[in-house]
Amino acid sequence: MSAAILFGMLFVLMLVGMPIGVALGLTVITYMAFWTPVPLESVALKMFTGIEKFELLAIPFFILAGTFLTSGGVARRMIRFANSMVGHVTGGLGMTAVLACALFAAVSGSSPATVLAIGSILIPAMLKQGYSRRFAIGTVASAGGLGILIPPSIVMVMYAVTTNTSIGALFMAGVLPGLVLVLMLGAITYWQARKHGFAREAKVSWRERWQALREAFWGLLLIVIVMGGIYAGIFTATEAAAMSAVYAAVIALFVYRDMTWRDVPRVLVDSANMSSMLFFIIASASLFSFILTSEQIPQMLAQAIIDLGLGPIGFLLVVNVLLLLAGNLMEPSSIILILAPILFPVAVALGIDPIHFGVIMTVNMEIGMITPPVGLNLFVASGITGAGLGETSRAVIPWLLTMLVFLVLVTYWPTLSLALPQALGMM
Amino acid sequence: MFRRLLDRLEEFTIGALLAISTLVIFLAVVHRYLAGFAIPYLQDWLLGFHFGWAQEFAMICAVWMAKFGAAYGVRTGIHVGVDLLVMRLHGGARRACITLGLLCGLLFCGLLVWYGVRLVWENGAAYAWYTGLGRDPGPYFEGPLTADLEWPSWMVYLAIPLGSALMGWRFLEVLLGYWRDGTLPQHRVAHVKGLDEGEGVPPSVEQGASR
Amino acid sequence: AEPILLKFSHVVAEDTPKGKGALKFKELAEKYTEGKVKVEVYPNSTLYKDKEELDALQMGAVQMLAPSLAKFGPLGVRQFEVFDLPYIFEGYEDLHKVTYGPVGKKLFAELEPKGIKGLAYWDNGFKVFSANRPLRKPEDFKGLKMRIQSSKVLEAQMRALGAIPQVMAFSEVYQALQTGVVDGTENPPSNLYTQKMHEVQKYVTLSDHGYLGYAVIVNKRFWDGLPDEVRAALEKAMEEATVYANDIAAEENAKAIEAVKAAGTSEIITLSAEEKLALKKALVPVHEQMSGRIGRSVIEEVYQATGFDPKSLR
Ligand code: NA
Ligand code: NA
Repeated sequence: MSAAILFGMLFVLMLVGMPIGVALGLTVITYMAFWTPVPLESVALKMFTGIEKFELLAIPFFILAGTFLTSGGVARRMIRFANSMVGHVTGGLGMTAVLACALFAAVSGSSPATVLAIGSILIPAMLKQGYSRRFAIGTVASAGGLGILIPPSIVMVMYAVTTNTSIGALFMAGVLPGLVLVLMLGAITYWQARKHGFAREAKVSWRERWQALREAFWGLLLIVIVMGGIYAGIFTATEAAAMSAVYAAVIALFVYRDMTWRDVPRVLVDSANMSSMLFFIIASASLFSFILTSEQIPQMLAQAIIDLGLGPIGFLLVVNVLLLLAGNLMEPSSIILILAPILFPVAVALGIDPIHFGVIMTVNMEIGMITPPVGLNLFVASGITGAGLGETSRAVIPWLLTMLVFLVLVTYWPTLSLALPQALGMM
Repeated sequence: MFRRLLDRLEEFTIGALLAISTLVIFLAVVHRYLAGFAIPYLQDWLLGFHFGWAQEFAMICAVWMAKFGAAYGVRTGIHVGVDLLVMRLHGGARRACITLGLLCGLLFCGLLVWYGVRLVWENGAAYAWYTGLGRDPGPYFEGPLTADLEWPSWMVYLAIPLGSALMGWRFLEVLLGYWRDGTLPQHRVAHVKGLDEGEGVPPSVEQGASR
Repeated sequence: AEPILLKFSHVVAEDTPKGKGALKFKELAEKYTEGKVKVEVYPNSTLYKDKEELDALQMGAVQMLAPSLAKFGPLGVRQFEVFDLPYIFEGYEDLHKVTYGPVGKKLFAELEPKGIKGLAYWDNGFKVFSANRPLRKPEDFKGLKMRIQSSKVLEAQMRALGAIPQVMAFSEVYQALQTGVVDGTENPPSNLYTQKMHEVQKYVTLSDHGYLGYAVIVNKRFWDGLPDEVRAALEKAMEEATVYANDIAAEENAKAIEAVKAAGTSEIITLSAEEKLALKKALVPVHEQMSGRIGRSVIEEVYQATGFDPKSLR
């Protein structure tokens, strides 16, 4: 009953279009005022303590790093390097987009930011070269999803904090699946380009490649710093975020000098804005999951799911369908924050590895970002191209299908996710 | 005049808090790393610095940033919801929906201010107030302190009522603006400074195409 | 009538001594009150986290907690930090003279102005040091990054050894030890073992240098508002649950040491009498250093209860 009231009210409030944080918060306050003796001051307390967690600091730090990298010319140099490596393959700039997204994903924690950084340069370039708008949107919007699968990843941070699993191990678990997805996206891009007869770039000499690599070096070095620093035990995953923000600022201001000190306030305020928006949702979601727990709803739902007797395979199927549906309507952080506390205990009870489950959820979120009507990557791509949401959504279909195949692979082949963190002794 | 001052102050606060929190963690990590090396004198000098407060301080900065940043977010239209249904509506229905959404935002902030003030008051502010005036604090407890910095928690919790008040004010501004001319602040996702001003296409990409 | 609802929230897993103690209390409380009280136990921080549970208790959002004793310092009752002082208790016998005795009661009385009533002390155990280098002498700690939980006393303790104290969330500790972000840590053996930290630490020193324990506390208004016979029944349930929880805590620690030995991933170091004395000599000055914070009188009272004389070390 209480579950019906809570979820029903949340659904109605969300449907009339109010910000998700407000919908969550008002649902909880109303419910608490009428149906529980819990004093309402604890609402204010939870709005504070819900985000007072050191690990969550990784979010603003990685966002700040990403903004510096985008404004500071790192994305541009990565694209140039990627282009020199794969531009000559069929679908030239499309292949460049996939590789550049993968490289940028390895320094940025967000998918829309990856689409933005790579897409705002490459999509116009592709259109100029006579690639179709659909092809341009499809490659970048889908490959941008790598932003949350290849570490660092804001979505993974949220999952890890919500479920008390290790951020570092989860990051490492994203590496191999990320590489596999790069290959798969590359393959579908190749096939699409071939089908439509798109041009390729001329092959570039190894000297020019070396030159491009040297220019991109300082940006690429961040990959080594973040992953190497975590693995070598110089800092934790959260601290790595602060290190990369400072590093990115230094690169942008002193090495590449694509931005000046006068641009710094803008970068800080934009990053703070994005982070605060996420923190507002996180705080409200922690309030929501508090009231769920207090009413023992996750325990009941978990028991109900276990009583279905699905077993791990069936459960994961249900989880994927549920997450994909949720992914249509909501953005990733809200999904993770609302559903992880409910699904996670069941997954653990069924013997699914917490880290593997985190990767499954992340891949679902990635797909959710390119499915309409709510798909952050689609929004960014349509913002860059001026194409409507309908066209953008149709454009990504071949890549979307590829990612669904990839989802099945990740879901039912845990080794792909777990091999690396296990080999590194992180779990 | 007041509005512009408030706007700038808001931007300055959130930007500065983010910068400070990043730098503090950066310094703490560098310090810890260097202090681990058995270099004579340097190690002893470094061991003399205490960074035990760094995590808590950075966290408090981030929470304050988040509370005021949420207000800034209302002004810039970054808080979006599931607006599918609303986008399909027209005329009065749409107007009603959007108004309702903004009013709910206002209401939520109002409630947070109210309960936030009570939280702060009961968590030590009342005690500090009465004892500061030399009066009997009555039923109020002396509030807790934060673990590492040992700051009064109620001061730290002030972020809730203050940030929510500002956020509520922003909702009100947006609501009045919407009633006046029917526009809402739109967050431009596809806008990055430095990109749309610089050259759009990397030279090598253009070179590659010209060959 | 509707049963009285008592929410008992804690931050550890259900299969730890504290978790089992909470369940035992639930069982006994519901039995002795003949169902007049319904106890709901929320383990694993599912309801409130470490940082907020005391606030929640004070405002009456939850009725019962079992926070670690180190949490009362930030509440303004710094006398409780006496429990964190290194080598202030020689063993369980010393400790129980304090926690079952008048000093423990007196400390609980300090909580009442905060709206909190203390009911019982639950042991976790005495801590061991672990690291990737053998820790026998104070000099061995120099420059080591040691993970602690947030506490001024523990910070001072690590500094007294020349180590760098590092506060870190529990969920990140295993990996931080594995990768080397921190070099070592301190834990009661049962925590070391259940968190698998022995897998990533080459040496475990059975130093027994400090105590980790919890206080079971209730919201005072709630407690005072209970009918007399219900309160008496709950007190009885708590008394028995305390004995039960403390017994399994001691048992689990002994078992954990054996299990770590059996795992063979780390060497267990037993200190000789001289080595332990040297460590004590390095650490006991922390008592004096912290006496301004904690209060000299409570330290003296503990000395009196246990018969410990710091001068005997000089
Ligand atoms: Na990433
Ligand atoms: Na979607």
